[in-house]
Amino acid sequence: MKREDFLREPVVHMKLNSKMTVNEFIQQFGNSGCFGAGRLSTACDIFERMIRDDECTIFLAIAGAVVPAGLRTVISDIIRKKLVDVIVSTGANMVHDLIEALGGHHYKGHWLVNDSVLYGYHIYRIYDIFVPEEDFTKADVAVADMFDEIAKESNSRTLSSHELTREIGARLTDSKSILRAAYEANVPVFLPAIRDSEFGVIYQFHMKKHSKDKILQVDAFKEVPEIIEIAKKSPRLGMVVIGGGVPRNTIQHAAVTVGKGLDHAVVITMDRAETGGLSGSTLEETVSWGKVKKKAGKVMVIGDALIVFPLMVAAVLERLGDKFVRRVK
Amino acid sequence: MTLRKKSKSKNRLCGNCHYHNMYEYPDLILCSLRYQNSNDFIVPTLGCCEKWTPDSQECFCVEEAMKKRNKNSVEHCKE
Repeated sequence: MKREDFLREPVVHMKLNSKMTVNEFIQQFGNSGCFGAGRLSTACDIFERMIRDDECTIFLAIAGAVVPAGLRTVISDIIRKKLVDVIVSTGANMVHDLIEALGGHHYKGHWLVNDSVLYGYHIYRIYDIFVPEEDFTKADVAVADMFDEIAKESNSRTLSSHELTREIGARLTDSKSILRAAYEANVPVFLPAIRDSEFGVIYQFHMKKHSKDKILQVDAFKEVPEIIEIAKKSPRLGMVVIGGGVPRNTIQHAAVTVGKGLDHAVVITMDRAETGGLSGSTLEETVSWGKVKKKAGKVMVIGDALIVFPLMVAAVLERLGDKFVRRVK
Repeated sequence: MTLRKKSKSKNRLCGNCHYHNMYEYPDLILCSLRYQNSNDFIVPTLGCCEKWTPDSQECFCVEEAMKKRNKNSVEHCKE
């Protein structure tokens, strides 16, 4: 590269006004093009590109406590608008979706609190969110009843996690629920680490009530070929990651297994690369595994997903307009 | 928010039992032992049974349920 190649695009300083829309605001970030602002602007461009690509299957990975913190409706809305095709989540986020679907709540709390007092009052803390134990207990009972029913109806057939979440979604009535929206929009919800959440406790409740032949059977490996098949059928693959961990790598694994690698990738995380952990691994590192294409549109936004994700979705919804209907071949 | 004094009560009450999970604070708990046996598993915090197992959990539900009961003068099960 020549010297002038490094000096092609000057920073355009942001200009703000009182009537700006979200997308106009994000475009000012793009004019700067620097630091987190530049990355968020690029993330919006990439997300828009994958939505407008009618041959792209969009996977959304959800990790970290974003559902109890307030992203539940943002996620169920984009499912209903068909802006994502496949959800891969931690079990915990879907449990928190169920807590609200079954009448419970999450409360605004504080991170600076005496946790022994919370313990005494049967209140759980997720950073600055409080959840009453009874909301978990009521969800445990209700979902364990669903497990009883699903086990009976499945007649000893082993289910994968997305078959189970579909069955659960079918039994909910709350239109704001992610699992209900996914059921109605026919979007599969994979929970690759399902037992590592309240679902494990619910399973134990269910299991102890029944003889071995009447227990719900969920096989973690059954979904491996199922998600690979989705990736295989799709000409192009896109991924939006909230957090990282098992959900992110489940998608990346599917992409590399079919020998394609992802064409578009947006990762929102606050994790660091130096530990070697997957959540903080850079998308350049991911290229070395063949999980993301070298020429993919890719960006990692280092920031709080509770700020970054809604801004990105709002900006892209504005760009698409109210009449936009996504068509996927 | 005030720091509450931990409950010292270790009477044979469901709210002081190892198998309790809050169901309706502070009055009702889910007894996981009864749940596994498909019995009526939502029981009063101030109830008791022969399978009572002491719990190390220092919670306020018994204390608060007692306060509420005394206020309402409701009959309860004693040790």
